[in-house]
Amino acid sequence: MSEKAYSISELMACVMARHLKDGEVAVMGAVSMVPMAACRMAQLTHAPNLYYITGGSGAVNPQLDPLVFSSCDDDLLRADSALALPDVILLEGHGKRFDVFFGGGLQIDKYGNCNLICIGDYEKPALKGPGTVGLPFLPLAGRVVIYTTSHNARTLIEKVDFNSGPGFLDGPESWAKKGFPGSGPSLVVTPLCAMDFDEETKVMRLKSVHPGVTVEQVVENTGFQLVIPDNVPTTPEPTETELKFLRKVDPKGIVKNLL
Amino acid sequence: MEGSDKMERTSKVMSVKEAISRYMGDSCDSLAIGGMHMHNNPMALIREVIRQHKKIKRLITSPSGSINAEILVGSGHVEEVLTSYIGLEHLGLAPKYRSAVEKKQIKLLECDEPHIVYGLQAGAGGLPFIPYPKGMDATDLPKVNPELYRFTTNPYTGEQVMTAAPIKPSVALIHCQEADPFGNAIFLGSEFTDRQMILASDVVILQVEKIVPNLAEKYGAARVNVPGFLVSAVVEAPFGCHPTSSHGYYTYDESHLKGYLKACKTAESYSEYFNQFVTGIAEEDYAQQVGKEQLEKLRKGGAA
Repeated sequence: MSEKAYSISELMACVMARHLKDGEVAVMGAVSMVPMAACRMAQLTHAPNLYYITGGSGAVNPQLDPLVFSSCDDDLLRADSALALPDVILLEGHGKRFDVFFGGGLQIDKYGNCNLICIGDYEKPALKGPGTVGLPFLPLAGRVVIYTTSHNARTLIEKVDFNSGPGFLDGPESWAKKGFPGSGPSLVVTPLCAMDFDEETKVMRLKSVHPGVTVEQVVENTGFQLVIPDNVPTTPEPTETELKFLRKVDPKGIVKNLL
Repeated sequence: MEGSDKMERTSKVMSVKEAISRYMGDSCDSLAIGGMHMHNNPMALIREVIRQHKKIKRLITSPSGSINAEILVGSGHVEEVLTSYIGLEHLGLAPKYRSAVEKKQIKLLECDEPHIVYGLQAGAGGLPFIPYPKGMDATDLPKVNPELYRFTTNPYTGEQVMTAAPIKPSVALIHCQEADPFGNAIFLGSEFTDRQMILASDVVILQVEKIVPNLAEKYGAARVNVPGFLVSAVVEAPFGCHPTSSHGYYTYDESHLKGYLKACKTAESYSEYFNQFVTGIAEEDYAQQVGKEQLEKLRKGGAA
């Protein structure tokens, strides 16, 4: 496939979609255009029995005919069913109902902790973030898929200024001590690469670099020491089938034009 | 024999001006505002609250507040805010909220989404508190906010458990798509946490797109899940959620929201926005101020 046949945000959607398995239940919050598209696409390519719930709308399996920007749009209610939001919150606390939870943050650290509260000291923030909404549920909600549209050393940092979406906390001991029902952060998707987490140290690890991106570029733009395996593969480009279904879901190019 | 099937029930329909002046004191202890992100925000009621200079001691948002909270904070009438998010979703941060917190012009009671949902549930049912699921204390929120996040012992396991206190707003401002004159009302799309706000609040003021006298007949009583006895006033305000959406009726006005964000940049442009759309006009003139043509473009296919 030629170099300009897809956008980087479309590739991110494909990476997320490939992570989803048939029969799973996924849930997401605000500004989830890419995860929404990824879930719907996964249903069309390899996971027809995937369920996904879009944010405050409570919609289960929106048809995305077509994809919309807002997680609470009434167009999402063209779906299989719709839960009232308090029911979604109730189920998020259950611990075994959801397999995949999409999260993100103004800051994401090496243990996959996320921050949507503030940059700098809480009492004297350099930037007041919007707030954390449902991210405290991350350790209770299966595998966490973290995504960001800005891969730089200010976003991907050693330690979050405020932990509002717990990942592996301060590392393996603190994580094990908590005995959470979820399995913690499992995939990080950025415009440069895909990352997972080292099984022993729980530190973020480079999984694949996107076509045209070097390992050095990723290291330079990451504010902590990533685990770099000896062999780092290139993220497979979107297949024709993937792109066909992604664009069917997103005819207006909301994901395509994001990055 | 007394009584008759012709006994008249009392209508709760009134003007926006009357509803706000009659049911909100000059100073409101706690005000809950419905809607989530850029959807179903009760903007007609909120603009009137600003016009009438009501002081709000504590503002309570849904788990994701939007222009509803942003504009109230921007008006300078809010002392403190209980929220888990105020922003404009894909359009960016809420500028006035952000700067009010950074400059400490308001007190922030920062919490997470379940705190609001559990709190309203507790408030509605007279429950002393609701315990959180295990593991929800792993964020830094309880550390910076020990007043809001209190712990007790789980009597069944002996473990420490985090709790959410009841939320009992003195007044809730809520948008439903349709209501009958007695306050029985329906959400034609998502309810978000608006119904919990209705259940938990002392006084509920509803704004609706349309008053439908035979509402239960039209949809069946099982779908009309806001009972009139919880509602104090009903205000008919077509396009009253603008610039946010009203599910099933019209979508949000992205260009207006972007215009608002632009207006936040200087004190002059902000006061010009207020003059043009809030304080300088009566609510009844709002639709005309925005422009009929602009509003019609937002209308959804299936709307009444």
